[in-house]
Amino acid sequence: MSILDIKNLNLAFKTLTGQVDVLHGIDLNIAAGEKVALVGESGSGKSVTARVVLGLLQETRSARINGSVVFDGQDINAMPARKRAALRGTKMSMIFQDPTSSLNPMFTVGNQFTEVLRRRDHKLSKMASHDRATKLLEEVAIPDPARVLGSYAFQLSGGMNQRVMIAMALANRPKLLLADEPGTALDVSVQAQTVSLMRDLVEENGTSVLFISHNLGVVREFADRVYVIYRGRIVEDGPTAALFANPLHAYTRALMSAVPRITGAGLPEVPEVSDDFLAARVSHTEAS
Amino acid sequence: MIRTLRILAGNPLSLLGLLLVCLITLAAILAPWIAPFPTHNGAVVDFLNNNRPPSAQNWMGTDLVGRDIFSRILFAYQISLTLGVVVLAIATPIGTIIGLLAGYLGGWTEMILMRIVDVFLSIPPLVLAIAMMGVLEPTLTNAMLAVTAMWWPWYARLVYSIARGEREEGYVLAAEVIGAGATHIAFREILPNCLPAIITKMTLDMGFVIIIASSLSFLGLGVQPPTADLGSMVAEGARYLPDSWWLTIFPGLAILIAVFGFNLLGDGLRDVLGEDE
Repeated sequence: MSILDIKNLNLAFKTLTGQVDVLHGIDLNIAAGEKVALVGESGSGKSVTARVVLGLLQETRSARINGSVVFDGQDINAMPARKRAALRGTKMSMIFQDPTSSLNPMFTVGNQFTEVLRRRDHKLSKMASHDRATKLLEEVAIPDPARVLGSYAFQLSGGMNQRVMIAMALANRPKLLLADEPGTALDVSVQAQTVSLMRDLVEENGTSVLFISHNLGVVREFADRVYVIYRGRIVEDGPTAALFANPLHAYTRALMSAVPRITGAGLPEVPEVSDDFLAARVSHTEAS
Repeated sequence: MIRTLRILAGNPLSLLGLLLVCLITLAAILAPWIAPFPTHNGAVVDFLNNNRPPSAQNWMGTDLVGRDIFSRILFAYQISLTLGVVVLAIATPIGTIIGLLAGYLGGWTEMILMRIVDVFLSIPPLVLAIAMMGVLEPTLTNAMLAVTAMWWPWYARLVYSIARGEREEGYVLAAEVIGAGATHIAFREILPNCLPAIITKMTLDMGFVIIIASSLSFLGLGVQPPTADLGSMVAEGARYLPDSWWLTIFPGLAILIAVFGFNLLGDGLRDVLGEDE
């Protein structure tokens, strides 16, 4: 059974000068417990897709949305705003690029944890929430949960904040986790640690993940399946191993060759626009 | 709180401001007990001792009807501080709520609210207050009303500009993502981040409200005699300068000290709370 099923999603923004089309018929499917990556360059439409799934763009007046986004059996586009808001933070949650700025600087981590936990259980006492938060922080391998709960975001390191964000995002055991370039603002080794931690946790909880990234290395380690997006269109999709072993679409190949090698062969050259990139979508059916 | 005080105390100027503010506040509260002539706040006449220069008995001299100026200044501080506190207690919440809503919600709400604010800001403050007092009866309550009417737009402006910036911060998006409503985000997420600036501005504004209120009563539009008020005391004595200098100099100095104290304290708070204009 699929937890998220996006069919023919079109998105445009109305501006003073006319309409800007952003997504041109996205199809994307995530099964229960599956980890799916959405890969593409900046401006390709990755993040807006996540915002549509969260139901945030539906409330933006200039956005024109067509197509169906079925989450857990219900079409998010057809829902009233109140119902969409009720899903956020309980059945779906999100992790962002910069963990430190995602925490309010005026409140302690513990304080914000309580608010997240009260999304599900409104009458949760301070003590109970503290205990629960301590357990959740232990899950993300934070050695001294009591200290972290009493700290402000700016007193903790980026990696620590990222762990806190992961713990918060998974606190209410959501069915779907959206990760928008998690940890891009962190350094590479910390990013690797936190991503593998996140992978272990979502596997344990059976959470589905939509992992948005431009970092192919991380995607390869993390995702079961990969969608490649270019200029608002899915150009290639398939199981991670098959897609990486045999990229068929011209854009996917360009994306892979664009990763700078640590051995130092200079920055690779990628054409800005190429007609080949606009070629039809390729789908890998099974591991080939 | 304790940390804030400690840093304040580390800066001699801020410490001076804090001391002046404490001194004035104490003087105002304790006026009925510490004033040498507690009855001189009202309509008392003592022509035997009128218009005397400073002496051991009357430290700041006596006024035209023989009342002790030092005593009257202590009572006048009561009026000034009450007015400042009441005006800010009304103007700040109004301005803050309007600024928050405009800054966070944007769109038409922002357009309408901020244009109203602009209309108020475009009228010179003292002129607006004088116009209001011209229509209304000159009493303490109406003076508060007039000063409040000219004061809240500045808070709306300040909070609006901060809220506009904070709206783009990650934690606001993060709160939206966990399903928080607009009211929660505006008041529980963004407002706390505006508080340092609001508190600093309130401290600085205490001084300015005192000046404006004194200006109004100097023009005869504020508190009416015989109640002691710094502005009207200066006005009464101004005709007798320079011969009876104590009539104006001491009330004038009293205004200066109050404004100076609140400004120094406000500047100190700004440093401590990390606010730069």
